[in-house]
Amino acid sequence: MSATSPATIPAAKRVRRRVADGAESKRPWTFWVLATLFAGYVLALYGPMLCIYVLSFQDIRGGLVFPMKGLSVHWFIDLFTQVRTGDVKGGFERSIVLALIVTILTVVGSFMAGLAFRQRFKGDGIVFYLMIGSLVAPGLVLGIGIGLLFQYFGLEASWFTSALGAHLSWTLPFGVLVMFAVMSRFDRAWEEAARDLGATRWQIIWMVVVPILAPGLLAVALFGFTLSYDEFSRTLQTSGPLNTLPLEIWAMTLNVTSPSLYALGTVTTLASFLIIGICLGGIVWIQKRRATRISVH
Amino acid sequence: MKEKLEASDPTPESKTEATVTDSGVDVSRRAVLKSAAALAGVAGTQAITGFPLIWAQDIKNIELRHVGVSYSVVKAIGDQASKDLGFKVTMQNLDTSAAINRFVTQPNTVDIADVEGWQAKLATKRGVLQGIEVKKIKEFENILPIFTKGEFSGKVVSRQGISPYEAMYISKPDATELHEGVTPWATFLPQVYNADSMGYRPDLIKKEITEWKELINPAYKGKAAILDVPAIGIMDAALCFESAGEIKYANKGNMTKSEIDFTINRLIELKKQGQFRATWTTFDQSVQLMAAGEVIIQSMWSPAVAAVRVKGMPCIYAPVNIKNGKEGYRGWCNGMALMKHLSGKKLDAAYEYLNWYLSGWQGGFVARYGYYSPVPSTAKKFLTANEWDYWYEGKPATAEILDPYGVPMEKPGAKRDGGSFIERVTNISCWNTLMDEAQYMNKRWNDFKAA
Amino acid sequence: MTTGITDTISTGASSEGVPVETAFAKKGASSSAGRSGGMAWLYVSPLVLILIPFFIAPIFVVVVASFLENDGFGGMLPHFTLANYASVFSAELTLRLYASTVKFAVLTWAGTLIIGFWIAYFLVFHVRNQLLAIGLFLLCTVPFWTSNIIRMISWIPLLGKNGLVNSILISAGIIHQPLEFLLFSDFAVVVAYVHQLTIFMIVPIFNAMSRIDKRTVEAALDAGASRFEIMRYIIVPLSKNGIALGSIFVLSIVMGDFFVVKVMSGGGSASIVSALFEDIAVLQYPPAAASAVVLLIVVVTMIALILRTVDVRKEIAR
Repeated sequence: MSATSPATIPAAKRVRRRVADGAESKRPWTFWVLATLFAGYVLALYGPMLCIYVLSFQDIRGGLVFPMKGLSVHWFIDLFTQVRTGDVKGGFERSIVLALIVTILTVVGSFMAGLAFRQRFKGDGIVFYLMIGSLVAPGLVLGIGIGLLFQYFGLEASWFTSALGAHLSWTLPFGVLVMFAVMSRFDRAWEEAARDLGATRWQIIWMVVVPILAPGLLAVALFGFTLSYDEFSRTLQTSGPLNTLPLEIWAMTLNVTSPSLYALGTVTTLASFLIIGICLGGIVWIQKRRATRISVH
Repeated sequence: MKEKLEASDPTPESKTEATVTDSGVDVSRRAVLKSAAALAGVAGTQAITGFPLIWAQDIKNIELRHVGVSYSVVKAIGDQASKDLGFKVTMQNLDTSAAINRFVTQPNTVDIADVEGWQAKLATKRGVLQGIEVKKIKEFENILPIFTKGEFSGKVVSRQGISPYEAMYISKPDATELHEGVTPWATFLPQVYNADSMGYRPDLIKKEITEWKELINPAYKGKAAILDVPAIGIMDAALCFESAGEIKYANKGNMTKSEIDFTINRLIELKKQGQFRATWTTFDQSVQLMAAGEVIIQSMWSPAVAAVRVKGMPCIYAPVNIKNGKEGYRGWCNGMALMKHLSGKKLDAAYEYLNWYLSGWQGGFVARYGYYSPVPSTAKKFLTANEWDYWYEGKPATAEILDPYGVPMEKPGAKRDGGSFIERVTNISCWNTLMDEAQYMNKRWNDFKAA
Repeated sequence: MTTGITDTISTGASSEGVPVETAFAKKGASSSAGRSGGMAWLYVSPLVLILIPFFIAPIFVVVVASFLENDGFGGMLPHFTLANYASVFSAELTLRLYASTVKFAVLTWAGTLIIGFWIAYFLVFHVRNQLLAIGLFLLCTVPFWTSNIIRMISWIPLLGKNGLVNSILISAGIIHQPLEFLLFSDFAVVVAYVHQLTIFMIVPIFNAMSRIDKRTVEAALDAGASRFEIMRYIIVPLSKNGIALGSIFVLSIVMGDFFVVKVMSGGGSASIVSALFEDIAVLQYPPAAASAVVLLIVVVTMIALILRTVDVRKEIAR
């Protein structure tokens, strides 16, 4: 770390400014600039989403572009009765379940691998670079390779076997790398302290390491879910006889120009806001309860 | 949503419904089995489907997996087949390239493969298909001779590209080379086909388009588009250059290296001049480009033109009949192939399915997309006289025309572009293909993309 | 023992090769001598168990295929040949494809880094309520729960000639003709990439920044450092880890992508994998395999270079 000791800063520059001290101080101008940037980013992020939300409420004549035609919930109904839009419902269910399984396995696998890499072991360089290779290998080709192997060994390729493995080969490297970043700030001293107090190895991991690393694990879970839910190229050949959602939508784009895709987007957004709202609300409620309990003591 | 049937429905169970839930299929299967047991050979269902169900008990547990592109392998058709046949037919949609890769690398995961003519050639060479015994196919003789004999009313169908006739026959069921000429073994059964040309906005282009060279007309600079599939795009381009008189190809569907070079170099030139607004990848992209007015002329597929019209924009499918030895449509044909691993009862079920497919319900269904059935005589039974006249004969509609799901799309008096289907199909200049120089062609197409 | 603990309390600001680390390293080594490599192998086994059948084996198949002769019809003749690699290396196309893809990768990296860094900074240092920070963060992730392909399709109603952006600009009188370059252009491709990938930059940088001990920043302020100096000497170096990680993610996704380029450029540009896709579509396996192997090597090298500047592994393995 470059060492600019405080002494070398000219006296003229010593101005007292405090940032993030929690007290009732005025926000510096940088706050407003960054807040505007943040707002702009969120707006840009939701830009295409806005089109999706608005256009999903068209009536039966609707297409995928403006100008909007009519106002109805026709496409939402169409989405759930899946008459003309392929098996979107089935694909959606499979994708969600697969993504959940992948998320759980990724968190566990990345966490364990992170623990492993904390020490140098024989072959750790090879494993590391194999992992990087798995991250960057072109999914199309890898998918064909996996499909070929399954065929050769007489195994049944399906979304919960071959596709699951293909997804994990994609999400685990992401997770492990995030774990690296997270664990690099992890203080071994806490573990030492716990050991000194008599904790077993598993107790240390479960009661010390995991809670401290929880935000990192959450990041891994987030990555794992998003990457798996959207995964396309690796899944193309490994999904077996049933399509996941991205595959189904991609296949549909060959002959469908239907706003029910947009209806799906609107529904998933509503569902995610609901879930987030419940989770955050739950956290707030737990905190309040803890506060009242403490104050009661 | 109920389909209109020409024939009468003696039994309520056989009324076709587009919406099918799992329990719905079970109920009608039971009903079908009951009627089969009770009325062997005379039941109403059999009047429509005509399939012997003596071994219905055995086939209950069979599931056939039909895999292919979404405009050919339609879920509604699979549901109807499950209903009529008594065993389960599941449809899986993939795009063309993913499908052929699946057939070749994971053949055991597919039962009925949806293949284009040239893909049938590939799959046969790779040994993943088994020959279809022609005499087991009831309607084989009624399939248009364009496919089965390569000719129509004495005129020979174009052999540029890989025509369905060329790709259809093999000498024995496990042969890996195609056979020139009619044999008792087929690689695939044609199922859906069409003749593609260009679509244009008549309100923005004030003249009638009948020649491919209009696509590269500098007057439409920045408002034209072609599609981003190498083997197809290059043939559309070839049709344009031939139409403009710039070059004469020996075989547009199997170009020599120098012909490929000429075509691609001209394309790169046009791209640099800004002729093309985009090369479209997905179906709805082509629809949007046209409907939004981003392009006013482009290579299009027939249902895309229909979709643009449903949005209220006028769009015409240019009739590019062969004249002066130039022009002509680009034809394609998708068909069903049997995977090699099918045997025993499953193979029998597969033949039942193939026969059902050609028996007319599917033909009537896809007609409303604008696709033709290779057995028009059976499709006719499932279309109203008005629909038949409109879709097949090219006559003006006498009543409203509905799309496959019952949505009105054309008013009375509208005429289908390009005339009758005979007129269109006999004017096919070249068929979708896989060239001998495919690797070179791909490379040069990527040059065009990267230019 | 005690030296170790007090040293590590100030670790937040000094994890970059300083006497503290070596002392700790010695200590760490001695205490982990009991925990042999065996334990580590147990921990890393899930990763390895997935890598073997789902990466190593298929890639081996691909490598073998790249050395086989192409029969033009999806088959591979069992002759060893270097022809596939020769055509990859001798074609001018390869160079142009790599140039095009690397160009997108660099532009995307720059865009995601600039935006991602400041968003992460804002969330960590300017948002005081932690719950609010998490909430805002989650707000940014909601669009990703809608399938990628649907979002790709939705760019057209947003950026098209009759799209939302053009309509707003025209009705506000800023322009009179719709802007054509917004869609089906390189601009559209980069916008789509940045839109999709900024989150991959935000998360690691957010993680890294949230571990910066705020007391260090306070100490620097008290000593009179300016904002710029704090940024330069504290924040950026300590986020290097996160930046490197985000860069790795963004780079590998863009280099390996074919879908965004295909759809958003309207066929105007090609990427390496989209060229691969065309080959696979007609079952030309050996050339596709050769191209894939070359891509793999190139991108792994790129990442190795990134790791050279910030050795992520060294950070945690002492």
